[in-house]
Amino acid sequence: MLKILIPTLMLFPTTWLVTPKWLWTTTTAQALIIATTSLTLLNWNSETGWTSSNPYLGTDPLSTPLLVLTCWLLPLMILASQNHISSEPISRQRTYITLLTSLQLFLIMAFGATEIILFYIMFEATLIPTLIIITRWGNQTERLNAGTYFLFYTLAGSLPLLVALLILQKELGSLSMLIIQYMQPAPLCTWADKIWWAACLIAFLVKMPLYGAHLWLPKAHVEAPIAGSMVLAAVLLKLGGYGMMRMIIMLEPTSKDLAYPFIILALWGIIMTGSICLRQTDLKSLIAYSSVSHMGLVVAGILIQTPWGFTGAIILMIAHGLASSALFCLANTNYERLHSRTLLLARGMQAVLPLMATWWFIANLANLALPPLPNLMGELVIITSMFNWSSWTIILTGGGTLITASYSLYMYLMTQRGPVSTSIMAIEPSHTREHLLMALHLIPIILLMLKPELMWGWCF
Amino acid sequence: MAARLMRILSAWSRVRLGSVPGARFVSQALSPGAAGSTAVHSDDHGHVEVSLYEKNRDFHGFHKDPQVDVWNMKVAFFFGISVAIVIGGTFVHYLPDHGMRQWARREAERLIKEREAEGIAVLDGNYYDSSKIILPSAGDEE
Repeated sequence: MLKILIPTLMLFPTTWLVTPKWLWTTTTAQALIIATTSLTLLNWNSETGWTSSNPYLGTDPLSTPLLVLTCWLLPLMILASQNHISSEPISRQRTYITLLTSLQLFLIMAFGATEIILFYIMFEATLIPTLIIITRWGNQTERLNAGTYFLFYTLAGSLPLLVALLILQKELGSLSMLIIQYMQPAPLCTWADKIWWAACLIAFLVKMPLYGAHLWLPKAHVEAPIAGSMVLAAVLLKLGGYGMMRMIIMLEPTSKDLAYPFIILALWGIIMTGSICLRQTDLKSLIAYSSVSHMGLVVAGILIQTPWGFTGAIILMIAHGLASSALFCLANTNYERLHSRTLLLARGMQAVLPLMATWWFIANLANLALPPLPNLMGELVIITSMFNWSSWTIILTGGGTLITASYSLYMYLMTQRGPVSTSIMAIEPSHTREHLLMALHLIPIILLMLKPELMWGWCF
Repeated sequence: MAARLMRILSAWSRVRLGSVPGARFVSQALSPGAAGSTAVHSDDHGHVEVSLYEKNRDFHGFHKDPQVDVWNMKVAFFFGISVAIVIGGTFVHYLPDHGMRQWARREAERLIKEREAEGIAVLDGNYYDSSKIILPSAGDEE
């Protein structure tokens, strides 16, 4: 763990001490070295779950893929931001990279935490750099509203979580995940117990987001600059999923009845947000709602608490993280050229930028869950497990798959096919940087097809 | 092909510059506050957005200084592709049996072969040997 944390900490002096000319080169290089080092965490050759050299930070097959995803995303964020930040004064550029690095640090400690309170503190701490990135570097006036929604939705959900954790600490004596996994879950009899159960999960349900509490997400994703959108879509949503998987292990067995409304909300959310995608005029908003849709499937998979449900949830979280971040990067390439996110403006781009059209194609195929990409594998595993739980869910999940394919195809056809928009006079050719960015997003998805057991978690 | 495209594009931009002074190569079709759009850019000086390709034909998208641009590109590709994906991918490929799944399969097959050779049941419903469990008789102690 320290071999990842210390280089990430040292990214702070790098950012502030290196000469302005070489700032982006050195930070990209260092972030990529950290990402390569994080691959060593994937080593899991024992049958026991946790791997830790100390009682405070450890990894297990659930947190490892998410940790690697987090570490992989920092260089991608730096690559993506390089262009739009380059016009700012150098100290602001350094501040921006510092914010990204601090976010990375909090996320690594959150996923590596073995103590639930440390996880909670890091979960809250990630809000601050993200809020600063959205409200300071967002492009429209709506960014203030977006930041407010983002901050207060998450805080309102997580304050009950703090109370619930303190109650749990008093009852059990320890909140270390290494110990709690062996403790008997207490039956929930009184109303207060049931509220405690809800308090444990609501913070993560808001973060995922669950359909009813998802209003912060389209705002935050749309108003954030590209690095903010990438980290939100790829990692911060998965913090919610990870937290839910950790907490729900100690909450069963009585969760079966209490989870019903949330499972139904999640499934209904897949259909609803998918349908909203088909009506979107704003490209980033479309991708944001598609994130809600995919995460609805993950929420449903986690809440039914079966081994396949958990496995499917982890696979879908990793695959969606990479695919969604890729789509936001593509939307940003359009935005940097046209300064608008409207779908209609960027029509027929295949004729203008054919190489970028290839990336659009592959990213959209990943989003619509094309076999044999892991996106489909995760979805299939969750859908199968939900069918086993209740046969009626196949209507909603099947319909959701259909709608996902429709809006992904819609997004591809609207941006790439059709007549070139007559309002576009001169589009700058695609940069090598943008092609590298897309390759670094999509090659890992393809490589994960070859060794999917890295994502199967500890249940499979 | 790409060079020809660049020449056509730069010729177009020069024509535009000549006809309308201070023209902007940014879409002006939207009004501010419309859903999903951004405010229209208005530059007081009437400056046009100049593509960095004009000064540096081999712009890679990293930095306006051509030397830094090339080095940044080389560093990003080297550490991103050659180190992280190729070497990292090879490392991950050769990691030992992840989660002991292949071992579990081999062990199961070995045990099945062993038990079938001995003629005993392959799998027993009870985890513990039921003959070794001593239960207190019912109604003895309350």
